[in-house]
Amino acid sequence: MKKNRSQARDIMLSVISILLLVAVWFLVSGSRPDFFPTPMATVERFIRLIEKPIMGVSVFGHVLASLRRVMLALIASIILGIGIGLVMGWNKKVRAAINPILMALRPIPPIAWIPLIILMFGVDEFPKVLLVFIGSFFPIVMNTMSGVALVDDMYLKVGKIYKAKTWQMLRHVVFPAAMPTILAGIKIAISSGWMVVVAAEMLSSRSGLGFLINRGRDSYDVALIMVAMILIGVVGALLSAVFTLIERKMCGWMSKE
Amino acid sequence: MDEQRVVQVHLENISKSFVSRKTIFEAVNHVTIDVYKNEFLVLLGPGQCGKTVLLNMVSGLETPTDGKVEFLNSDSTDVGFVFQKTAVFPWKTVMENVELPLELKGVPKEERRKRAQYLIELVGLKGFENALPKQLSGGMKQRVGIARAYCNNPQVLLMDEPFGALDAQTRYQMEEEILRIWEQEKRTVIFVTNNIEEAVYLADRIIVLSKCPATVKEVYDISLPRPRDYVDPEFLRIREAIEANTDLAL
Ligand SMILES: Nc1ncnc2c1ncn2[C@@H]1O[C@H](COP(=O)(O)OP(=O)(O)OP(=O)(O)O)[C@@H](O)[C@H]1O
Ligand SMILES: [Mg+2]
Repeated sequence: MKKNRSQARDIMLSVISILLLVAVWFLVSGSRPDFFPTPMATVERFIRLIEKPIMGVSVFGHVLASLRRVMLALIASIILGIGIGLVMGWNKKVRAAINPILMALRPIPPIAWIPLIILMFGVDEFPKVLLVFIGSFFPIVMNTMSGVALVDDMYLKVGKIYKAKTWQMLRHVVFPAAMPTILAGIKIAISSGWMVVVAAEMLSSRSGLGFLINRGRDSYDVALIMVAMILIGVVGALLSAVFTLIERKMCGWMSKE
Repeated sequence: MDEQRVVQVHLENISKSFVSRKTIFEAVNHVTIDVYKNEFLVLLGPGQCGKTVLLNMVSGLETPTDGKVEFLNSDSTDVGFVFQKTAVFPWKTVMENVELPLELKGVPKEERRKRAQYLIELVGLKGFENALPKQLSGGMKQRVGIARAYCNNPQVLLMDEPFGALDAQTRYQMEEEILRIWEQEKRTVIFVTNNIEEAVYLADRIIVLSKCPATVKEVYDISLPRPRDYVDPEFLRIREAIEANTDLAL
């Protein structure tokens, strides 16, 4: 009962604050609607976008194009990031060998890679996915490494007492113990990957939300820019909400404290 | 009973020291103990005296710097271990935790489930097979730990202050329970504690260890009939005798 009531209150507060934001938007946009479109104009633009595709791709097609790039890159960075992070966390020598390289590469923002990647791979699909990969790989590898390295000694002792082989130790002890940290890394990777894909698409692309923003700029269609920006925000928020559900499902064993 | 005691584990003059930087730290010093088959042996010693290190050497987790550990009259060196803090895996259900030792050995699911089910019922957790540890109290988690220790059917059970973290009432309850379980499934138990009352309540034999480095200080045979009573005059007499003789400043 109590919980339901406080949930209803929270939802109400969220609705109120969104309405307030829209109200502020109304006020600000009133003076120069051509320069900064009103919420109504933006919604109209969105509806028009659904009816009239750009570059033969509907607005949802553009969302999917961005999502597809992010998913491809995430699959690669999850596989490589967890794999490399696991070995690094497990084996101190491997960690000592690889860590300096990661430490030096990590601070380079994905945007700084763009010129190099364009020169090497052109402006196809692959370089965009590669950029998103660069933006999402590091949080996964770093979190996996520290999650694995910090597994409670007590748990490892249990495995040793019962003579677990290395793969059994990883499967029954290390991997599940590190799972919350690994998932937290993937969560960061998703949001950073989603940011990078837009940047990559703004460079050169014929599809995706970043492309829509560019198109809006080139044709002085500010409402289109607004539509694309809002879509980026909403889809990004949805992605992270969906992942939170997955996280809860996979780590339901964690106690609340 | 005394005349036909069979030695199950023999600790021959074992010592353990840790080398760090340039200092050598001695944790266990020249300990010789015979552990008899199916006895309830309690190692009683002050905090940080090297009790865990000693148990780790019996279990094979650590090797002595000097001396040796021998398992006699048994073809296996398998041990069960109940840990100081509950080392029950929070990501596994009660059933999955208990069956783990057999799963690691590659025992088929049906067979190991049967064994685990028997043990879960033995420790009084019937109905909680699919519960996660976060749903269990401290005492129940330690029951899971005990069932897991029995799972691969070891001859020797090592218990490292298993009830140290429990509140007093649960602790008394678990002391009673561990004896009931042990009467039903007799094994050689080496039980570590720093609590004299607990030692006298549980033990067939108490070995008192000294402060660090651990050495054998005294040995007491406790022949009080079970179930024992904490306020029985004879119980109190033994307890006081040990108290007077040992320094368990914690
Ligand atoms: N791997 C290790 N390296 C260095 N020192 C160690 C190591 N393991 C244990 N020690 C030291 O040996 C001493 C005895 O440790 P041990 O854990 O056996 O004590 P204990 O009697 O079990 O203590 P407690 O009552 O707190 O459980 C401690 O001072 C500890 O710091
Ligand atoms: Mg200890």
